[in-house]
Amino acid sequence: MNAIEVTNLKYCYRDGTEALRGISFRVSPGECIALLGPNGSGKSTLLLHLNGLLPEKINGDGAVKISGEPLAPDNLEKIRRQVGLVFQDPDDQLFCPTVAEDVAFGPQQLGLSETEIAARVKLSLAQVGLAGFEQRQTHHLSHGEKRRACLAGVLACEPAVLVLDEPTSDLDPRGRREFKALLREIPATKLIATHDLELAVELCARTIILDRGEIIADGRTVELLSDEKLMLAHGLERPHILHHLHPH
Amino acid sequence: MGAHHHHSHRHPPAHGFLHRLAAGFKLAAALALILTVVLLPRGQWPALLVIAALLFALIFASRISGWFLLKRMLLLEPLVLGVAGLMLLQPDGLARGGLAMAKANLCLLVTLLLSQTTPATEMLRVLQGLRVPWLFVTTLTLMHRYLFVLADEAERMRRARASRTFTRGRRFQWQTLSSVVGQLFVRASERAERIYSAMCARGWK
Repeated sequence: MNAIEVTNLKYCYRDGTEALRGISFRVSPGECIALLGPNGSGKSTLLLHLNGLLPEKINGDGAVKISGEPLAPDNLEKIRRQVGLVFQDPDDQLFCPTVAEDVAFGPQQLGLSETEIAARVKLSLAQVGLAGFEQRQTHHLSHGEKRRACLAGVLACEPAVLVLDEPTSDLDPRGRREFKALLREIPATKLIATHDLELAVELCARTIILDRGEIIADGRTVELLSDEKLMLAHGLERPHILHHLHPH
Repeated sequence: MGAHHHHSHRHPPAHGFLHRLAAGFKLAAALALILTVVLLPRGQWPALLVIAALLFALIFASRISGWFLLKRMLLLEPLVLGVAGLMLLQPDGLARGGLAMAKANLCLLVTLLLSQTTPATEMLRVLQGLRVPWLFVTTLTLMHRYLFVLADEAERMRRARASRTFTRGRRFQWQTLSSVVGQLFVRASERAERIYSAMCARGWK
C-alpha cells in the first residue's frame, strides 16, 4: 500500500490563481522524497493538501489518499494523525507559551493520558536534542531551536508520514547540518519541500520537481540534479556536492 | 527595539520577596487589596496611607526599580487624571477628585507589582486552575504568545521603511506609522490563518 497517493490533484485559489494543475505521484512507506521547484511553483499548496488543510471544503474526490485511505470530511482527524506537517515559519507553529506545552499540544488533542503525554514530550524533546528545554518560553528560543521544537511537536503525535516545508531555510550551516542529521534518524516516510539542493542529495533518494503547478520530473535525485539543462529551466541549479559524488 | 522589547518582558531570576510567592496567592492578595482600596469610604485617609506604606515596603523587599515602576505608572496616568479631573466639577470636587486619584493610583500600583513579579505563563496556569472559561484562557494565552511576534514584526517593518525614508519631517513619520499599522493588521490576520492551520494539523478540533 502507498503511504501517499495523489491522483490528478487540481487546486485553484480564490483569486483565480491556478496553483496545482493535475498532479499525480505515489510514495511508498519509508521513502524520503525531495520536492523541488522555484518559488510559487505550488510546493506549499501541495503540502497543505496532504494534511487536509486545503481545499477549504474537503470534497472527498479521492485525489489524495494517505495509507490507502481517501481524504474525506469524516476521516480528517485520522489523516491528520498520520501526517505530521512542519510549517515553514516556526512562529506559526509554536503557539504555546512554553516548549513543553507546545510539544504536548498534539498528544493532548489525541486524548492521551497525562503520564503518556509527559513521556512523549520527554522522548520527542530528547529526539531533537532539546532535552531540558521544557520550561523555556517559545518566543525566546533561537531560530534553530524553534525549528527543533516544531519538529518535536509533530514527532510527539507519532506520524507515519512527515511533511516538511523548507526545514533548513534561515538556519546557519551548523544548524542545517544538525537538522539534516536529525531528519535522517527519523524512520517515517518523508516528503521535504526545499531549496536546499544539498539536503536533497544527502537525504532523499528520489526527487519530484514541480513548476507552475505541474510535475516536471520525478526520479532519482542524483540523475535529476545532474541534468543541468533541466535544473536551469526550472529555477534550480546543479549542486556543487554532485561534483564530488561518483556516478553510479 | 526587537531585542530591547524582549528584554523588558523577560522576568529577572526570582530574587525578590514577591517573585518567590506563589502566583495564585499573589493574584488573590492583589484582588483583595484592590477591593479594599475601592470600597474604603471617604475620610479613611489613614487606611490608604497604611496600604501605600505596605506597597512601598513590598517594592523595597522585592528589589524592584522604583524608576521603572514610575515610568509604567506615568504611561497610564492620563486615564487616572482624566477621571479625577472630571470629578473636580462636582461639589466638594477637590476632596473627591483627590481621593479618586489616590485610590486609582494605588490599584494601578498593585496590578503593576503583580504583573512585574509574576510571569504571564504562571498567571495563565492559575486562571486555568481556577476554571476560568477555557475559551478565554486560550485567547489570552495566544495573545500573550503573539504580542511578541507582532511587536517584532512591526519593528522590522518600521526599520525597513525608515531605512528608505530620507526626510526627517514629523508629519511624514506619522504617515509612515499609519501605513505600517495597516500592513501589520493584514499580516496579523494572515498569520492567524496560518496558526489556525498549524493547530488543525496537530489535531485541534
